[in-house]
Amino acid sequence: MKFDIQYRPAFALAIAKLDAGETVIAEAGALVSMDSHVTMETSAGKKDDSLMGSLFKGLKRMVAGESFFQNRFTAKGQAGEVTFAPTHAGDIEVYTLESSKTLYLQSSSYVCSGEDVKIDPKWGGAKSFFGGEGLVMLKATGSGPIVFNSFGGIKLVEVDGKFTVDTGHIVAFEDGIQFKVGKFGGGWWSFLLGGEGLVCNFTGKGKLWVQTRNPQAFGQLIGQKLPPRQA
Amino acid sequence: MKAEIKHRPDYAALHVVLDQGEKVVCEPGAMMGMDPALKMETNMKGGLLGAMARKLAGETVFLNTYTSTGPAQQLDLAPSTPGDMVEVGLSGGAVRVQRGSYVAHFGDVEISAKWGGAKAFFGGEGLIMLEARGTGTMWMASYGAIHQIDVKDAYTVDTSHIVAFDESLTFTVNKIGGMKSLFLSQEGLVCRFTGKGRLWIQTRNAPALAGFLQPFRRVQKSN
Repeated sequence: MKFDIQYRPAFALAIAKLDAGETVIAEAGALVSMDSHVTMETSAGKKDDSLMGSLFKGLKRMVAGESFFQNRFTAKGQAGEVTFAPTHAGDIEVYTLESSKTLYLQSSSYVCSGEDVKIDPKWGGAKSFFGGEGLVMLKATGSGPIVFNSFGGIKLVEVDGKFTVDTGHIVAFEDGIQFKVGKFGGGWWSFLLGGEGLVCNFTGKGKLWVQTRNPQAFGQLIGQKLPPRQA
Repeated sequence: MKAEIKHRPDYAALHVVLDQGEKVVCEPGAMMGMDPALKMETNMKGGLLGAMARKLAGETVFLNTYTSTGPAQQLDLAPSTPGDMVEVGLSGGAVRVQRGSYVAHFGDVEISAKWGGAKAFFGGEGLIMLEARGTGTMWMASYGAIHQIDVKDAYTVDTSHIVAFDESLTFTVNKIGGMKSLFLSQEGLVCRFTGKGRLWIQTRNAPALAGFLQPFRRVQKSN
């Protein structure tokens, strides 16, 4: 499986090139187009999971803010391509996961992955609660490509020591980094009035990707101006 | 006539320079700036019936025609979404364009609404297309980038990502996967194209953005 990312950075498109019989797994709703000999199947878990196991996986993903089901695209009989795009304007990155490593992803940043990459919601407990939904992270283990997207541009930060990011701007980070959610450094007064909200304090060594726009801030800006919806 | 698409690819706009007597026809609302000496007329394209069909296709009934009254008069046109624009040359054949992607045309080109019949119904509003037929140039716009695919055999596209396609391609609207997929996959309907021809798709779709914004709307309490 190879990925070609085109139309970067503002309206990136991920093109997955599959060998005959290969499968790519994608976030529900991400499909743009595909060769007609590529088939799609919807499942909550992996194909070999029992019904209960599969349902449980689906529920866990829903808690993480991901859709309950994932779609599996398989090139039948011959090589084929599938293209994916996220909802938001922005960039796409491909990361190659090795079996000894773990990648944490903000749940809405996940686009698609190889069949040998396992995606699990990592419920961070209280720190996720305080961090808002954005900090319910997905944990990717296994090996193979994993594709994620940003709202706006993607900035790579090589963390070595300490680094602080606004929770709404986190995209992904490697497992060499620990995180702790806290309020912005300026004390309670600036927390309440400074408009900076919650931040994530990272420590350790590894790669961290941040996005140059914040989906929640954008949603609030536009959503408040739309006519109200019925309760 | 000289035309250039500027500010590509994120915020493309069309810059046209017309000589005496030359005309460009465009979607009302697309005009961004113009030489005030240009003469503007609003026409019902394809007569009253054509206009009615366009109305039903969700396009505005009227198209605006800008005619130059002297040498080198300028007209700037812009689509409504962030994204790219492309120029498509027509030499007697036809291209079908998703409503909302048509921006303007030049030359001997007729714009009409195309009915997909029942398949258009199942495809939702997005699959009632406009047809541009004739000899000349057409400009169209996308939300996001425009990705061109030269279909040789068969290709499948999510309906909300279609921009345009050559009339040589035939299509059917399908759901993908089994019944379970129809309800749980969150993938809408897809268009399965067969034949040989050009197909243009866009890398973002407006319904997905609207869906994202939906939960951010204020809630009106019922009395």
